[in-house]
Parts: sequence; structure tokens; C-alpha cells
Amino acid sequence: MPIQQISGCIGCEACVKSCPTDVIRMNRGTNKAEIRYPEDCQICHLCRLNCPVGAIKITPEKSIPVMVSWR
Amino acid sequence: MSTPSLSRRQFMGVAGGLAGAMALASLNFDAPAQINKPKISADDFKQDQREVDVLVIGGGMAGLFAAVKAHDAGARVLMVSKGRVGSSGLTPFAKGIFSYDRKKASMSIDDFVAKVSESAIQTNNPVFTRQLAEHSYDRVQELKSWGFFDSPIYHESFMRPINERRISVDERIMITHLLKEDGRVVGASGFMLDEKRIIHYLAKSVILCTGSGGFKPNGFPVCDLTHDGTIMAYKVGAKVTGKEWNDGHPGSAKNSGSSYDNWHGQVEEKPSTTEVTINHHLGVDLNYQAYTQGAPVMMGPPGDDQDRGSAVENAGPFVPEAFRHSAPPPPPQQGGLRGLFAGKGHSGPPGMGGEQVGGSSAGMAIHKSEGLVPINEQGLSTLPGLYAAGDALGSYMSGGIYTQIGSSLAGSAVQGAIAGEAAAKESLKLTGGVTVSNEQIERVSTEMLAPLKRERGYSPAWVTQVLQGVMIPNFVLYIKKERMMLGALAYVEELREHHVPMLLADDLHALRLAHETENMVITAEMKLKASLMRKESRCSHYRLDCPDIDYENWQAWINIWQDEKGQMQLEKQPFDMWPKFATA
Ligand SMILES: Cc1cc2nc3c(=O)[nH]c(=O)nc-3n(C[C@H](O)[C@H](O)[C@H](O)COP(=O)(O)OP(=O)(O)OC[C@H]3O[C@@H](n4cnc5c(N)ncnc54)[C@H](O)[C@@H]3O)c2cc1C
Ligand code: SF4
Ligand code: SF4
Repeated sequence: MPIQQISGCIGCEACVKSCPTDVIRMNRGTNKAEIRYPEDCQICHLCRLNCPVGAIKITPEKSIPVMVSWR
Repeated sequence: MSTPSLSRRQFMGVAGGLAGAMALASLNFDAPAQINKPKISADDFKQDQREVDVLVIGGGMAGLFAAVKAHDAGARVLMVSKGRVGSSGLTPFAKGIFSYDRKKASMSIDDFVAKVSESAIQTNNPVFTRQLAEHSYDRVQELKSWGFFDSPIYHESFMRPINERRISVDERIMITHLLKEDGRVVGASGFMLDEKRIIHYLAKSVILCTGSGGFKPNGFPVCDLTHDGTIMAYKVGAKVTGKEWNDGHPGSAKNSGSSYDNWHGQVEEKPSTTEVTINHHLGVDLNYQAYTQGAPVMMGPPGDDQDRGSAVENAGPFVPEAFRHSAPPPPPQQGGLRGLFAGKGHSGPPGMGGEQVGGSSAGMAIHKSEGLVPINEQGLSTLPGLYAAGDALGSYMSGGIYTQIGSSLAGSAVQGAIAGEAAAKESLKLTGGVTVSNEQIERVSTEMLAPLKRERGYSPAWVTQVLQGVMIPNFVLYIKKERMMLGALAYVEELREHHVPMLLADDLHALRLAHETENMVITAEMKLKASLMRKESRCSHYRLDCPDIDYENWQAWINIWQDEKGQMQLEKQPFDMWPKFATA
């Protein structure tokens, strides 16, 4: 998983706004952020750096296969 | 395979397809196809219209200065971005900004421009190179006064001058179309990512600050950018350039998909300034090394002999004599990126230590070498009413290779400011409002929402993966030869002709992806056609089948545009000439 877990969210929406690839959305029912489109996460950590309470956990592996120029 | 009934082109397609198919074999497409059942209906979108003097599209470094300077020149300005200001595009990740300080610089501006041209093998446009040196210091001072250097996160310092001036900002809006009336660009349309609403922005002039783009590659934070501005402009008739060049940033073999790890956490650093140090780097040397010798590929610190692929002496991409360092260049006196990387626990940008893989920024060229063709030094495009700045402008400030660390960020600031002021002055001269026909508004809205309305078709994620499989292999995008490029082109044309018109979306996120996917496919076609046309090798464009520089025929850039029949056209643009302005 790329962005892996959100726990302890206070619902400020900073991560939703600061994610360049629109991975995170607010759950209007719980008023907490949730990971909606993890396959589009570029693992850049902007959401984590913008979260005021350190609620976001990110791991370095992609959730979809990775295409590179050689291996 | 040499069935006589196949044309040469078709045969190449089959042959090249083999490689694409093999590359694809490593991907798995598990989701079965389904009838598209949109979670939202395309029929009840609300529509808004807003009118301003100057519309700035993009909230990175170029957009910031374009908006501020257009406002200061007296225009009513609105900035719109698909992401957050200072937290989208490439800007949030750049940490070194070039500042040419006349009092302290180690060389004169004339010498700087000459040396950049020498490194870039004349592919740079000296007018923009000089502009960078002349204006960078002032832009850096302004950034300092807004608090830019005080935090690793840029949103707050970017919003300071914007809020002080009460400039309107619309975030999380995906612009998909430019509006054009009687030959003049008069605005842009897009949709909100958070609610079912289309917004049509009418403006006297538009500045594209939409950055660059890529094929949503792995290990470089460019996945939110897909050359949207370039393709929108191309579709309304603007000329674009630079598609044969390649950014050669490698990725790390371990966790290749992580931009953060690949850049060793550099995003957490505060920015700093860089001074004059002219290089010829981050082209396709490593790709050549990997192609000829195979993996694993390692790279030393920049400037070290190893990033030239020293084991392949006298072969591969040509590096001008003066830029073949045998030892790392001396570190700048104080600060600078090198100083930044030397910091505690900081090992710098990718390529510093560890095994490397290629293609981390696939689909992106050298910054400032690709984008709209300018007709003057203000960044006016070939279409009246349309300006571009920063990575969205094919200014060739640096040329077809990276020549000065920190100049990409500085160049976006400098060009944004100049375009902002010019666009404002022009818009203030235009009396009367701007109008767009209902017919155009309707057509644009229909095209925008079409992927939500289709029942059957193809998912943007799948088309993207196919495109990646065809384009990203080292032997297609980087180490080029005609046979492979024709093969890949057959695939890409198929995607454009048959699959793009059937892209599906079931929500607003997927609708964005559908438009981004189309833009990537058209970009891929441009990259292949420009690379086929440029029958020489120079800077970051390398062809195995024509490995030498051709000074006789190729002292030229390549312009690309769409003709009235919708066909992609390519032409040579001599290095020392500006293109003509389209007649309104
Ligand atoms: C990891 C990394 C490190 C780098 N390091 C350096 C460095 O140290 N020094 C240096 O000089 N340069 C560096 N660069 C390059 C530098 O970041 C860019 O050249 C520069 O920031 C480009 O600025 P820009 O404003 O032109 O475009 P961007 O910052 O890319 O901004 C593009 C904007 O356009 C918006 N946009 C795009 N499409 C649409 C659309 N369809 N609708 C609405 N809005 C849209 C985006 O949301 C974004 O706000 C680095 C880049 C990366 C990725
Ligand atoms: S790591 Fe980057 S791309 Fe992934 S969710 Fe966070 S901000 Fe978005
Ligand atoms: S930034 Fe943190 S606290 Fe704010 S919404 Fe996101 S996860 Fe919740």
C-alpha cells in the first residue's frame, strides 16, 4: 500500500486539499478523511506533511504494478 | 511475420507490438469489464460563468507570479488550479532556486548566456536564458519577503501575496478546454472535483501556467500533470514544441514507485538559493549505459565521471568537452543545492547511491524545452489572447539539456511575472466584454462530461497502463531507433483513434483521469513523431540509428500543431527565428 492508514483524524481537510493526485476525500458521514483512490498515490508525502496531528501513515510500496524503463 | 499484405507501417506495428506486449505481461489487469454505472449523473451538473481580465491557469511558481504581477499591473485576476496553490504540480518538490546576483556572480550575464549555449549545443533560446539571469534575483527577493524560504511547505507563503491583493483563487478545478472566439482565446472551461459543477471562465487574456506532465510514471512526483495546458492549446490551434527531449532522472531500483524515497525525503527540506554552475546533465547517459551494458546501473554524485557512463567512453550521448568533469565541480561557496544535499542525514536527489532504474519521469522533457511555442519574450503564444509561462512554455531557456541547477524554479517565477504583466496590459487595452457563443459552451460541456455518459468503453487506468507499457521501455522512449518508434506509434495511434473516444468515468475523480489519459496519449504521439523527425542526436534526444549531431540540417526546434482537418503537423523552426503569430 502507498498511503496506508489514517487514524486520529480531526477532520481539517488539509490532506484532501494538499494531495496533488486527489487520493483522499472527506467522509461526510464521519467527518474524517478517508483513502479513496490509493492506486493514484504517487507516494510524495505532502498529505502527511500537511496533517496537523500526524494521522497519516504511508509505506513506500505502490498498490499497482510499477512500470520502469529497465530492470 | 512478413505477411506480404501488411504495409510497412502495419508490419512495424506488429513487430513493435511484441515488445509492448512483453512489457505489458508484467502488469496485471484483474478487474473484469463492466457496463459503466456512473455514481453521478451527467445530466444535472450546474453551470457557472465568471468573467475577469486575466485568467491564470495553474498554482505553481509560474502561476503565483503571473497572478501577482497581472494584478499589480491593474487587471482583475483569477487563478484556477486543479490542485492546491503551492501544493500541486512540480513546484512543491523543488528546493533549489537560482539567483543571479550581479554583485557576486562568478561570470557576467553575457558569459553566462554563452556558456549555457555551449552546454546546450545551441538548443537554448538565448533571449530566455538572458531573461532568467536578469530577473531571477528580484523574484527571489520577493519570495524571501513572502516567507518562502522559511518553510518546506509552500502553500502559506504563496497565499500571502495573493491574499494581500485579494486575488480570487479557485482550487480543485480541472480545466479541460480553452475557449476561442473569432481566432482569439477568450477563456477556459473546467469542472469541480468536489461537486457537480462546470465553470466557464471568460477572460480578455489567459496565461497557461499548467506546468509539464508525464505518463503517470513511478518515482517522480509528476503524476498529477499530463501536459493538459499544452494539449488544450494544441486543440485550439496553438503551436507546441520540445516533444523529442527527455528528462533523464533515474529512479531507485528499490521501491521504484515512491517519489519520496527516490528523492530521499527532500520535500521535507526548506528551499535555498543556487549560484552560477553550468552543467550538461540529467539527459540520457544512464539510459545508454543501461541499454548497452544491462542492469544493474549505479550512479555516483552529480559531476562524478560515472554519471557519464564512463565505461562507454566515446560512445552514446555526446557531452561537450568543457562539461566532461573528471572530478566533481567545487561546491558553491555557501548554501546552494550541493550544500543542501550535504546536510545531516540528507543524501540528495535520485541517482546518489544505490541501484538505479530508468523512466521515473517518463513523458516529461527537460523543463522549459517543451510547451507552447512563444512568439516573443513575454511568452505570448501563436494564438492571440493566449500566453504561457514556466514549464508550460517551450521557451528553451535551458535548451534540450539541464544546464543550471535551480533555474527551472527561477525560470517559472521570472516568466510568470513577465507574462502576467504583459497579459494585464494587453487586457486593459481591450474595451468591451468578452463573449462566447452558446454553441461553444454547449459543445465544450458535452465533450467534458462525455466519459460519464458512455455505457461501454475502456477504463482510464487500463489505457494508461497500456500506454506506459508501450512508451516507457528504455528502447522506445530513450534509446531511440526508427523501427521501435514506428511500432510504438502504431499502438499509440490505435489508442488515440479507437480507445480515447471510449474512455469511461463513473465519478468526478475518474472524469479527471479520463481527460488526463487523453492528454497523455496525444503527448505520446507527439513525442514519437518529433523523435522520428529529428534524425540526429543532441542533448537529451538520442537515436541509436543517427547518433551524431547534424549541424547542417538540425539547427532547429520542432513545432507541432493541429491543422483544420485535425491532423498533427510538424515543422522545423530555425534556432534564430521566432515563429509567426497566427492571424486572428
Ligand atoms: C522532485 C523535483 C525536484 C525538483 N527540484 C528542482 C530544483 O531543485 N530546482 C529547480 O529549479 N527546479 C526543480 N524542479 C523543477 C521545478 O519544480 C519546476 O520546473 C517548476 O516548479 C515548475 O513550475 P510551474 O509553475 O511552471 O509548474 P508547476 O509547479 O508544475 O505547476 C503547474 C500547476 O498547474 C496546475 N494545472 C495543471 N493542469 C491543470 C488543469 N488541467 N486544470 C487546472 N490546473 C492545472 C497544477 O495543479 C499546478 O498548480 C524539481 C521538480 C521535481 C518534481
Ligand atoms: S502521498 Fe502524495 S499522492 Fe499519496 S495521498 Fe499523500 S499527498 Fe496524495
Ligand atoms: S490532514 Fe490529518 S487531521 Fe486533517 S483531515 Fe487529513 S488526516 Fe484528518
